[in-house]
Amino acid sequence: MTVSKATFTSDPVGKSVPRVDMYDKLTGIALFTDDIQFGPNLYYARLARSPHAHALIKQIDVSKALEVPGVKAVVTGKDAPELVGMYLVDRPVLAGERVRYFGEPVAGVIATSEALAEEATRLVKVEYEELPAVFGPMESIQPDAPLLHPDLGEYKVASFIFPEPGTNISEHFKLRKGDVESAWPRCAAIVEGTFRLPQIQHVPLEPHVSVALWEPSGQVTLWTSTQSPHAQRDLIAQSIHIPHGNLRVVSPYVGGGFGGKAGVTMEACAVVLARAVKGHPVKLRLTREEEFVGTTMRQSLVAHTKIGCDAEGNLLAMETQYYFGGGAYNDYGVNIARAAGYSCTGPYDIPNVKGDSCSVYTNLPIGGPMRGFGMPEIHWGIEQIMDQLAEKIGMDPAEFRRRNCVKTDDTILTSMKMPAIDLVACIDKVTEAINWGQEDKPSAPHKKRGQGIAIMWKAPAMPPNPGSSAVVRFNEDATLNVEIGAQELGQGAFTVAAQMAAQALGVPYEWVRVSAPVDTKYSPYEWQTVASRITWSMGNAVKAAAEDARRQILEIVAEHWGEDPNDLDIKNGKVISYKSEQEQPLQNMVIYGLPNEDFEGWKGGPIIGRGMFMLTYVTNLDFETGQGTRAVAHYTVGAQAVDLEVDTETGQVEILKIASVYDVGKAINPDLVLTQIEGGAVHGMSSAFEALRFDEKGQPLNRSLVDYRIVTAVDVPKEIHGDFVETPLEDGPWGARGVGEHVMVQTAPAIANAINDALGIRFNDLPLSAEKIFLALEEQKQEET
Amino acid sequence: MLARPGLPSFDYVRASALYEVPRLLEEHGEAARLLMGGTDLFVRMRDGFVSPQILVDVKHLPSMRDVSYDEQTGLTIGAATTMNEVARHPDVQAHYPLLAEAASSVASYQLRNRATLGGNLCNGSPAADTAPATLVLGGRIVLYRPTGEREIPADEFFLGPGATAMQAGELMTAIRFPILPPGSAGKYLKLGRNKAGDLAIAGVAVFGFPDGTASGYRFRIGLASVAPVPLRAREAEEVLAASPPGEETFALAAERAMEAASPIDDVRASAAYRKAMVRALTLRGLREIWRQLS
Amino acid sequence: MTMHSITVTVNGGRERLDVPSNMTLLQLLREKLALTGTKNGCSAGECGACTILMNDEPVNSCMVLAVEADGAEIVTVEGLADDGQLTPLQEAFVEHNAVQCGFCTPGVLISAHALLKRNPHPTEEEIKLALVGNLCRCTGYLRIIQAVQTAAGRVSQQAGLPRPASGGVGAASASISQDKGGA
Repeated sequence: MTVSKATFTSDPVGKSVPRVDMYDKLTGIALFTDDIQFGPNLYYARLARSPHAHALIKQIDVSKALEVPGVKAVVTGKDAPELVGMYLVDRPVLAGERVRYFGEPVAGVIATSEALAEEATRLVKVEYEELPAVFGPMESIQPDAPLLHPDLGEYKVASFIFPEPGTNISEHFKLRKGDVESAWPRCAAIVEGTFRLPQIQHVPLEPHVSVALWEPSGQVTLWTSTQSPHAQRDLIAQSIHIPHGNLRVVSPYVGGGFGGKAGVTMEACAVVLARAVKGHPVKLRLTREEEFVGTTMRQSLVAHTKIGCDAEGNLLAMETQYYFGGGAYNDYGVNIARAAGYSCTGPYDIPNVKGDSCSVYTNLPIGGPMRGFGMPEIHWGIEQIMDQLAEKIGMDPAEFRRRNCVKTDDTILTSMKMPAIDLVACIDKVTEAINWGQEDKPSAPHKKRGQGIAIMWKAPAMPPNPGSSAVVRFNEDATLNVEIGAQELGQGAFTVAAQMAAQALGVPYEWVRVSAPVDTKYSPYEWQTVASRITWSMGNAVKAAAEDARRQILEIVAEHWGEDPNDLDIKNGKVISYKSEQEQPLQNMVIYGLPNEDFEGWKGGPIIGRGMFMLTYVTNLDFETGQGTRAVAHYTVGAQAVDLEVDTETGQVEILKIASVYDVGKAINPDLVLTQIEGGAVHGMSSAFEALRFDEKGQPLNRSLVDYRIVTAVDVPKEIHGDFVETPLEDGPWGARGVGEHVMVQTAPAIANAINDALGIRFNDLPLSAEKIFLALEEQKQEET
Repeated sequence: MLARPGLPSFDYVRASALYEVPRLLEEHGEAARLLMGGTDLFVRMRDGFVSPQILVDVKHLPSMRDVSYDEQTGLTIGAATTMNEVARHPDVQAHYPLLAEAASSVASYQLRNRATLGGNLCNGSPAADTAPATLVLGGRIVLYRPTGEREIPADEFFLGPGATAMQAGELMTAIRFPILPPGSAGKYLKLGRNKAGDLAIAGVAVFGFPDGTASGYRFRIGLASVAPVPLRAREAEEVLAASPPGEETFALAAERAMEAASPIDDVRASAAYRKAMVRALTLRGLREIWRQLS
Repeated sequence: MTMHSITVTVNGGRERLDVPSNMTLLQLLREKLALTGTKNGCSAGECGACTILMNDEPVNSCMVLAVEADGAEIVTVEGLADDGQLTPLQEAFVEHNAVQCGFCTPGVLISAHALLKRNPHPTEEEIKLALVGNLCRCTGYLRIIQAVQTAAGRVSQQAGLPRPASGGVGAASASISQDKGGA
């Protein structure tokens, strides 16, 4: 239901129409997974978790837990030996012979209440034999490091991922273009640096929750907060050996995903627990503390990068090694390392590149996809080292980027040609927005002011064949239902689906209803709501479905009028003829068809439009060089510029303005694009100050919101100037490209560059903090005396 | 162990008369705890740090939420008065604005509708935001026991992290503040990881008034989160009593305040940063109230 | 564990319920009364997703025992809209696109609603401070702040209150003009 005061918006693509989910979310009606009522049949589950970062499980005694009245079953890895995983099937649903991170689930207790289940988990007795643990990727790649996955060679793995059995390296992507060795001598300036960042967490406001029901008939239903109903069905069906047709995934609204609800996280656990109490739905919900331990985190990274340019400032060479700290299981993280590899240069045209990108097992929480999928991680170093090189060669950082950034038709690092984008326009807009180069005075004598710029690129990181499909179905009053498998995470997917369907059909926006919740029993296939791919990929499918319906309607009416369908159109819910100027409202005919003259028979009937979109042109990449015809579908690019002040007495940073501009191809809903840009800028800013901290035994130190701080209403920048440019994407619906992740990719290095401008201090390691900045200033004072 | 999803089992008892409290506490001993706002207690119970079997709700006892001001004797705040109630009370705003400022700095508006002044103090947390103000304003903690009432000056109340001078079976009923010296000014500065809403990495309350000292003024400085207890920075205060007010004296006093701090490294901040921030915040506080005093 | 018989008024309706000592008000609302608009984001008083009005003041319902709410008047997000009609505050959220995933929204609305009741002309700073206990990961807060400013202007207009001297500062700017719907 929309709350627009207007009842009739035609041609909604390109207009900032109100969201379709506003009313429900504002009134508390909107259902999230924990809101669904299941009745007295519902059981609750809690997980017993490992207190060790790395240990063998010698014995599990569940007898005391089973004695608690109300406990219905206790499940351990022995009962659930299956492995799950997205690109590398390396993760047990419940720990098997060993645990690999603090918090790994070792047993699940199912009881009639959550409190009883919790009490019983504390009675599960596990005998561990501690093993040496390893926490950083650099330590983990050493030959004498403990081996976390001795069976790495036996795991099922996607054809484009290359783990190295016998090591802790789960993926190694190589990029070799040109010849860096011959390029270094030709460089007028070379800069080298190491950049590090810790694990951080998505912190969606809605914690993970799943309810699974395994019926005695073999039908399994999973209600869950997920970005990926169909992918979860696929992975769980394969791992737990349920025929796809017997597994149904239903997902209501998602209270924030950011990648943390992609692939399979704790949902397989819920299914395996439900199997032990057939006929009862089992609810497994994570506490906020468990979010910081038992779901996925953004991987940590150690990046060594060396770049060089000629005397005019043209980049000639880059050599870079990325070591991602992937955590205990890298099933999704391997593709992040790969994506970082084939985009390892950042948005720059560099003729000679040597890149190695690895994901590495560590005894820390599971690394996985987080908004940006490897791009924020690598841009932290790239955007700073570019600034350093610009400084060395005596060029303005914005000018350096204008000169070297990727442009349409450039041959990029994988040898594909850069599709049409305009990164220079983004750079121009952000520099203008913050008066680049004209530094205004700081607001007080003890404050220092600085400006920083950073650019980015990202391609949707997917297998080569991720499909979208859609169905359009009318009601008698010509309102219509758009059926999709894409998820509304808050990004506006349902809204743009409605806009695109309305536009492609020729009906008012307000006539469109998006069929929700997504339910794999009824909703057409959608690979996942990730990778900022939905507006583009789902959009194409929706457009095709609407056009399919439109074609059918025009054929029927044309035949009815004895005209050529090419002379007909649908406008504002009516078929019109440009030739005869006749009109036929869509009401009723979209179900009942049209009668022939004198009611001598009928033509037409219920109109159903169908459409699908799948990539056909992404190709393989050479294992040794990363070269290939078409590595990715496309890139979205953008620029951010930051104007900030540092309080030198406390180290506190005040962001005065973030200017943020992206090339979105076509803004289907301009204001929704701006809300993504604003939300992303704040998320990006927050990410610069966040870090998961661990003690020397791998135990998390800040595993609650008390000590894992995120940006609040009082911390926001004074001003965010968001904007976009529109260079159409060749195969985008109306030219649209995704932007949901890109908007936070480069905020952290933009801030670091601005701090460097203000203080002359460079921070190679995240997180930033007032303390770090203050202590660095003190050190600087000492060095100057 | 990770936190529970909900609160563990316990029995809730609402005390309806003062004398019930020590009786209940004696009867159940370690198994009983007093319940005020609950904003610290419930979190600790979920985390498993404390496991009381009985919670005795004392919020509804007579006078526990009363605020009264008398021009002769000063301000009396019932221990169960919430932070928001303290902050917006006209008598507190008019006569003890430093206390209002400190109370306003705690957590969020929602939590300040539950967190109480008494609870904040009796937890004995070195980070209690209202402790520095209570110290510098000469607050006295009123404790009830069956044999009668006793008062402890705030600067004898805090004994160690989580430890106060409250004895088993005692109930904090009120906090009393004397009439403040005429012409006084005060400021509470707090530094956290967020601009507001966080626990203090360092909290400094500065309070000053004209007095018969060598400098013509007396200052009191209270520190939170930088030592095992909230404390007064006495050497800094002596400097300010002895030397004429101004940038040089303030800088020296800030140094002394920094030396009075003995913070630890923890997940929120390092000891080195905390000490430096004591100096920075003390200096800012002194400058600020000097503007008002002069 | 003791059970307590309590009477509580929720969104104008009186309820008599039996609750265990350790049930929170949040659990009472969600599990006993099926008022699932109020959300559980942390159970620790940090995120604000569980914010409701208790005797006209916003509190984290996860930090209040159900038994402590005996005799209280509770308003949840479901009790804000008047018979399905959005309030000026909710309308302002629509106009400013101040909702994305929607999980923080009920708590934010309650905090903002209470703010405007006690301070009809809040400054930008006052709005931010009032919302510091409501975490949002999607919007970046700017649209929320703008929506509250817009609502403040309208609510005071409706009430016939004089306009404040300062118009309130808009935090986000865009260099394109938008067609915000309409035929």
